[in-house]
Amino acid sequence: MRESTIMKIHYGTALAAVALVAVHILMRLTMGFAESLEYETVLANYKFIPYAVMLELILILLSIHGFNGLRVILLELKQGQAYEKAVSYGCLAAMFGLIAYGSRTIIMTNMGMT
Amino acid sequence: MTQDEHKEGIKGMANPSRYGIERVAYWLMRLSGLGLLAYFVAHIYETSNILRGQVGWDEFLELTQTTEGHLFLAIVIAMCVFHTVNGIRVMLGHGGVGVGKPARPDYPYDPASQNYRHKIGIYSAIVLAAIAMMYGLAVMFGE
Repeated sequence: MRESTIMKIHYGTALAAVALVAVHILMRLTMGFAESLEYETVLANYKFIPYAVMLELILILLSIHGFNGLRVILLELKQGQAYEKAVSYGCLAAMFGLIAYGSRTIIMTNMGMT
Repeated sequence: MTQDEHKEGIKGMANPSRYGIERVAYWLMRLSGLGLLAYFVAHIYETSNILRGQVGWDEFLELTQTTEGHLFLAIVIAMCVFHTVNGIRVMLGHGGVGVGKPARPDYPYDPASQNYRHKIGIYSAIVLAAIAMMYGLAVMFGE
C-alpha cells in the first residue's frame, strides 16, 4: 500500500477515535469515577450492545493508529528492505493480536461468559 | 559541509534544546504516542480481568485504584490531550493549513511553515494537556 494512503488511514482512524474515546470517557463521568468502575456497572456497559459495538470500534481504530504510529517511528530510526519488512509485518501481527485479544473480552462479556 | 559538521549524528538531530519548540513538539508527540500505545495494551489486558468474575475484577481494581494509579492515569490524560491537539495541528500542517504561501527563500531563510500559528498550536497543546491533567486529578481524588 502507498505511504500516502497509509497516512490517510492514520489520520482518519485518529479523528474517529478522538470522537469515540470522548464518549467512552464521558461515560465514566456520568456517575462517580469509582462507581463507574464497579463490576456490575462495567458488566452492564459490556452487555449494552451499542456500547459494546463502540468499544470494538475504538479497539480497532486505536490498534490500527497505534501500531502504524509505532511502525512510522521505527522506520524513522533505521531503513533497509529486510528491516522495513520485519517492522511492517511485526506491527501488523501485533495489531491483529491485540484486536483478537480485546474482541475476545468484549464478545465473551457481552454474551455473559464471565 | 564537512564530515565534522555531521559528527553529532542522530544525537544532534534529536537534541530538543537546539531547534526550538518544534523539535520539543516532535519529541513529545512520539513519546506521548509510545506511552499511549503502552497504556492501551495494558488497558486491554486490565479490562480482560472482567472474565475472571467479580473477585478477579475487584482484585485488579485494588492494584490500579491507588494514589500511584491515579497519578499514572493523570499523566495518561495529559499525554492523550497533547497527542490529540498537536496531532490535529500536524494534520492541518500536512494539509497546507497555516504554513504560509510559497515564496523565494531569502536570508535569513526562516522557514515559512514554522510560524507563530503553529507555535501557538504547540503551546496550546501543552497548556490544554496540563489543564486536562489537573481536571483528571480533581475527578479522581475529589471523591
